[in-house]
Amino acid sequence: MAIIERPSDEVEVVDQSTPSEATPETSYGVFRRPVETTGWKSWLFTIDHKKLGIMYGVVAMFFFVVGGIEAMLIRLQLAGPNGTVLSADKYNQMFTMHATTMVFLFVMPMAAAFANYFVPLQIGARDVAFPRINAFGFWAFLFGGLFLNTSWFLGGGADGGWFMYAPNSSVAFSPSNGVDFWGLGLQITGIASLTGAINLIVTVINMRAPGMSLMKMPIFTWMVLVVQFLLLFAIPVITVALFMLMFQRSFDATFFSVEAGADPLLWQHLFWIFGHPEVYILVLPSFGIVSEILPVFSKKPLFGYPLIVFSGAAIGFVGWGVWAHHMFASGLGPISVAAFSVATMAIAIPTGVKIVNWTLTMWGGKIKFTVPMLYAVGVIVQFTIGGLSGVTHSVAPSDTQQTDTYYIVAHFHYVIFGGAVLGLFAGMYYWWPKMFGKMLNERLGRVNFWLTIIGMNLTFGPMHIIGLQGQPRRMYQWTENRAGDGFFNIGFWNLVASVGSFVLALGVLLFFVNIYVSHRKGTEKAPLDPWDARSLEWITTSPPKEHNFDRLPQVGHLDEFFHRKYEDRGADGHHEFHQVATAEEVVAEEENNADAHIHLPSPSYWPILLAFSLPIMAYGVIYNLFLLLGGAVLALVSFYGWGLEPHTAPEEDYDPPTGTSMEVAAHG
Amino acid sequence: MSHQRVHDRTMSTSADSTSSLKIMSSRGRKAASTVAGLSALTLLAGCATDAPQDTWKPAGANAQKIQDLQWPVFLTAGIVGVIVMVFIAVCVVKFRDRGQPIPDQAHGKAWLEYLFIAIPAVILAAIAIPTVGVVMALNDTDDTECVINVTGQQWWWEYDYEVGADGTICGYAPSEVSASPIITSGQLVIPADTKVLLRGTSRDVIHSYWIPRLNGKRDMVPGRVHFLRLESDTPGIYAGQCTEFCGLSHANMRMETVVLEPADFQKWLDNELEPYQAPAEGSLAAEGETTFIAQCSRCHQVNGLVDPNNGNLVVSYPDQFVYSGAAPNLTNLMGRNTFAGATWDLLTPECRADVWEANPEEFGDKYLAGVSQDCLNEIDLREWLRNAPAKKPMYADPALLEQSDGKVRGMPYLGLSEDQIDQLIAYLLERK
Amino acid sequence: MFTTGSKLLFGASGASLVGTLLYGILVGGIMGTVGLVSLTAGLIFLAGINAFIRDANVAADEVAQFSGSAAAAPRPASSVWPIGVAVGGVLIALGVVIHAVLTVIGLVVVLAAAAEWLLQGWAEGASSDESHNREVRGRLAYTAEMPVAAAIGLGLIIFMFSRVMLGVPTKSSTIIAFSIVATIVLFGGAMISRARSMSAPKMFGLFSIVSVVLLAGGAVAGLNGEREIEEHHTTAHYAELDKCGEEEISADEHASQTVAGKANSSAEVTLDENGLSFTRPGLNDPQTGVIQLPRSNANNILFRNETSEPRRFIAELAEVEGSPARICTALVEEGGVQLLTINYAAPSFDPAVEESGGYAFVVAGLDDRIEVVVP
Repeated sequence: MAIIERPSDEVEVVDQSTPSEATPETSYGVFRRPVETTGWKSWLFTIDHKKLGIMYGVVAMFFFVVGGIEAMLIRLQLAGPNGTVLSADKYNQMFTMHATTMVFLFVMPMAAAFANYFVPLQIGARDVAFPRINAFGFWAFLFGGLFLNTSWFLGGGADGGWFMYAPNSSVAFSPSNGVDFWGLGLQITGIASLTGAINLIVTVINMRAPGMSLMKMPIFTWMVLVVQFLLLFAIPVITVALFMLMFQRSFDATFFSVEAGADPLLWQHLFWIFGHPEVYILVLPSFGIVSEILPVFSKKPLFGYPLIVFSGAAIGFVGWGVWAHHMFASGLGPISVAAFSVATMAIAIPTGVKIVNWTLTMWGGKIKFTVPMLYAVGVIVQFTIGGLSGVTHSVAPSDTQQTDTYYIVAHFHYVIFGGAVLGLFAGMYYWWPKMFGKMLNERLGRVNFWLTIIGMNLTFGPMHIIGLQGQPRRMYQWTENRAGDGFFNIGFWNLVASVGSFVLALGVLLFFVNIYVSHRKGTEKAPLDPWDARSLEWITTSPPKEHNFDRLPQVGHLDEFFHRKYEDRGADGHHEFHQVATAEEVVAEEENNADAHIHLPSPSYWPILLAFSLPIMAYGVIYNLFLLLGGAVLALVSFYGWGLEPHTAPEEDYDPPTGTSMEVAAHG
Repeated sequence: MSHQRVHDRTMSTSADSTSSLKIMSSRGRKAASTVAGLSALTLLAGCATDAPQDTWKPAGANAQKIQDLQWPVFLTAGIVGVIVMVFIAVCVVKFRDRGQPIPDQAHGKAWLEYLFIAIPAVILAAIAIPTVGVVMALNDTDDTECVINVTGQQWWWEYDYEVGADGTICGYAPSEVSASPIITSGQLVIPADTKVLLRGTSRDVIHSYWIPRLNGKRDMVPGRVHFLRLESDTPGIYAGQCTEFCGLSHANMRMETVVLEPADFQKWLDNELEPYQAPAEGSLAAEGETTFIAQCSRCHQVNGLVDPNNGNLVVSYPDQFVYSGAAPNLTNLMGRNTFAGATWDLLTPECRADVWEANPEEFGDKYLAGVSQDCLNEIDLREWLRNAPAKKPMYADPALLEQSDGKVRGMPYLGLSEDQIDQLIAYLLERK
Repeated sequence: MFTTGSKLLFGASGASLVGTLLYGILVGGIMGTVGLVSLTAGLIFLAGINAFIRDANVAADEVAQFSGSAAAAPRPASSVWPIGVAVGGVLIALGVVIHAVLTVIGLVVVLAAAAEWLLQGWAEGASSDESHNREVRGRLAYTAEMPVAAAIGLGLIIFMFSRVMLGVPTKSSTIIAFSIVATIVLFGGAMISRARSMSAPKMFGLFSIVSVVLLAGGAVAGLNGEREIEEHHTTAHYAELDKCGEEEISADEHASQTVAGKANSSAEVTLDENGLSFTRPGLNDPQTGVIQLPRSNANNILFRNETSEPRRFIAELAEVEGSPARICTALVEEGGVQLLTINYAAPSFDPAVEESGGYAFVVAGLDDRIEVVVP
């Protein structure tokens, strides 16, 4: 499906002797192709990985705000004893949807945004392997996310917790449609993740620039690759579980009904076999981003690059063998508990390797503290805390005291907010000039960073205390008579956490302010290479042209861009690096040797239509099976329309016709 | 003894981290400073006082085993954390760009990398070995001295005490009658210095039994029987909370474990097995008995209650009305001092404090006194009787319960008049 | 706009629709109606495809340009579809004689082959460029062919594999056989992955061999028949009919075979030469006499027969709240285990329960008894 041509050295000679009309590019679809390059249609029907990446980012940020508001409501409710901001029912929905939104609709798609935008650029490709599937993935994610959130207006959101343990998820215990929306919505976003995973794996394996062996691949791409493999194997597991849930709730199946001889622990195993790799799915892309940023601002290559690659892969593997550490209290039996406890400790080793190698990357460097670098160091520090608190409850007996308390909430927020989200913010500050051609304001960025760090530590730090003082999670109220009254009393620290959450929210708000400020009229265009970067995505204009590279770059080094700019003039084991070219010169060199024929696939209606059929079918499962049929017909039509469509739009679809269709798409 | 030791160690750690904190803040803005401070606080959390569910204040052999295992782990984690933070701080300060030349573009040093794999591996191995030992020890049930069945249900716990093959309950023989099973809820009463085995299950969704000061938590799963060992040598009340999310009123599903000296436990046992005493004829409580039979006895059992109108034993069949199939047994309601899933107290705050803060010697007597007229927390109890679902969120409106065969989960609104409530309270006050 | 081909097919669709309606109204009969409806649907589908691809005539607008091109004088390639249509026709005819299902299959084959034929014919004339023609045929056909082929292929694999699994005589030989197969696959895969590249014919050959082996294995196993598999009958209403006696019946509807239930029992009751005893998880010493079980809860009770006689395990209940008087397992052979899931709705001190003799576990034909106390 990918028809991005690799350039050949030979100049193509168009054979004029055969009449070109003899091989007409007839469009078999019922629509004219949407070939606009500006305006809303250019976004709606685009299959350009960069536009899709930006849309992933925008939608993810939207859901970040949604999930953030849910979190704020939770913290408001818990700020004092016997909170009355939310009813018990609403509170249960709130924490379920907060987790679901943040995991599935913010962190995963935000990582997908960076993966989409930068993996092709980092490996020197012109697009992903399957551009239309890529578009489909984005729309499926968006529609799945919206579908999930429409439950708020249709009888209430899911109320079983993001882990949705059976049998509490069955109809008798959760009578609203919230859990149906949750299960079906996650099925849809799961389809998005799965298609995305296959797409990126094929892209990374097949479409790397000439000379880029796997061990010369940028570390971010490596981590994304590991994540895609994790997704490829984890999503089917949750899909199976969600199918069972759907059949249990909608079609009277008895997978989790104890009366029918079922064992409810089946769900827990299925969920966590997915759920634990999911943690690494969330955090590894950020590790990749941090591993990109630290070398750039330390002016040193990543310390122990192969080891970081292998530890990433090791985390990916061992991550499959530790799921039951989420179930230490569920009555597994001592042998299993001991085994999973030890396996969990083992996974701390590759994680520790990363932290050590990051700090050793800075050691002996020439460190510049820009905002992205601040965030990257923030990740190391905050994630270390999360990792160490993780070690404390890898000790199973200790975990039976801590699991399902706020100590765990503190732990995974340090991991996911401190590890994943701070990393994503680092990525945004780092790559913003590349994506939009404007720098984000550094001064505002610093305030943003410090507010975020202070806010997050104020919010999640006290949760360690609250948890060790015995406050369980998922309680819509806490009361004075279980709070104690010493220095560590639950009441005070709950209040601190709630105040902290507002500081954190203010920090995030500043990020949006920064975007506004940086994009006002009259702000300067960003320099071509503002950070003195090291990898391929910088060997092109900012923002990159639609075809990414005028000439596919030839790769000789891990940090190719750096080595094009700097030369080692030392001798006899003494190194002395001197700048030999500016970024502008490097890019100009590429432009002067542009490839002659660049084929890019044309936009298409079908991905968005096919994706749109998914929520229709999902509504059908909940409300009326005829709607399901309608959605299925739309899916079938889009599926065939997609199949019948040529990759590149025929000349007659352009208005006005613009010469040879081949080149139009590339340069238009 | 060992608790004291923990105290010392954690204090010294915090001293370490505060000094490092000082160094760092003096050198400038460091992300690490907040963090080091917080990790110190985290470690200190173990020394807190007065939080009834404090996980660092063991009051029994099982919790002590966990404590002995976890404090060195926390300590190690804290030390490693501080070292890493200091190392980062040094990097950040020392290698800031001051115009030094571009460093060598080397990709690492193999020996250093292996070293940093080996160090955490050794530390973790050192943690892993005792962990496995404690896991095994906590699951050993061979020397059990007392078996109590625990059944979770939305949103309260039921306890039934087994009569052993020797005709005793937990090794105690009733003084006056022959032993029969005791069934209670809310507060689990156990004798001190006894290895108690809870055999737990659930009637509906998964719940989790957790008394932090006595042991870690254990999920109680429908269709399965799971075990949890409790043991304590100090009389007192130990608070707990259901920790597996179990639906609407998860927050209101609590439990307390009451530890009594052997003599006190014997008294408690005798009291539980005492035959039913009908209220004096013509008293308010006698009217309450009638009201109870009419309004409450469909679900709530009072053992030995006989309907004065027909002389029949009153037996409740909650299965017909309650989705999960049971309602708390109220035979000795005022012998315990909480109600509605141990969420509200039957004692007024002053009387409650008197019992909770009693020293171990006096505790037994104070607890066994039960709830007197003066100490009764009428506010909460009346609110509950007036409209239970308004006080504790429950699925109790039968009109909305198509999905659960029209059965309620939790106590429904009964529409009792104030007179009826007066009668019921008078009647219930005698149930002890 | 519409070309001859489309017109013909639309005409035929219309005629067949009218025919269907007439038949449905005047004659009736399910098979006939189904057949005619299918025919109509198929013809409409063909007409639709035909119209959708503009009846295949690229040169419709510019006849002049194409009259001189190679496309104007097409060399028809060899085609399998005439055979397909013929086979389908024969199936329809055979179906009339043998079984109506064959007719339906024949109809499907005819329609599918006709559609492919149509497509091939069109594609060959699409342009003078053969590779382009192949591509446009593929684009149209693959969207239909691939899912169908995948469905048929998967179905075959699952079916054949399951036949082989069921055909292997014992459980242990199944494990051994599949360990060997897995090793071969792993080894073969490793060898293949060592090669830098592999030619298409080689791949095709390999896949063909594997497919043939699977098909052959499935066919052989299917013909040999399944190994003997223990069956668990569930016979309803024996309890209500008070038939939990010593006579040979299969099982009670309450007797469950679920693995989950067996793994999570409240108690395990054992019958041996000393009579009935029970153990419970967490309390490993065998006990006799009285067992205490929680009320209103699904209690899984395992029964294990260690005597040489086949025995039936009975839970004596009381007829309160509409529960049966007793429920029982099937006859359990020596060493056999069966499970009962029992939910006691009333406490054992309920007079109604006491009158009926109280709750107990007994074995048909023996006096031994375990009293059940429900608090």
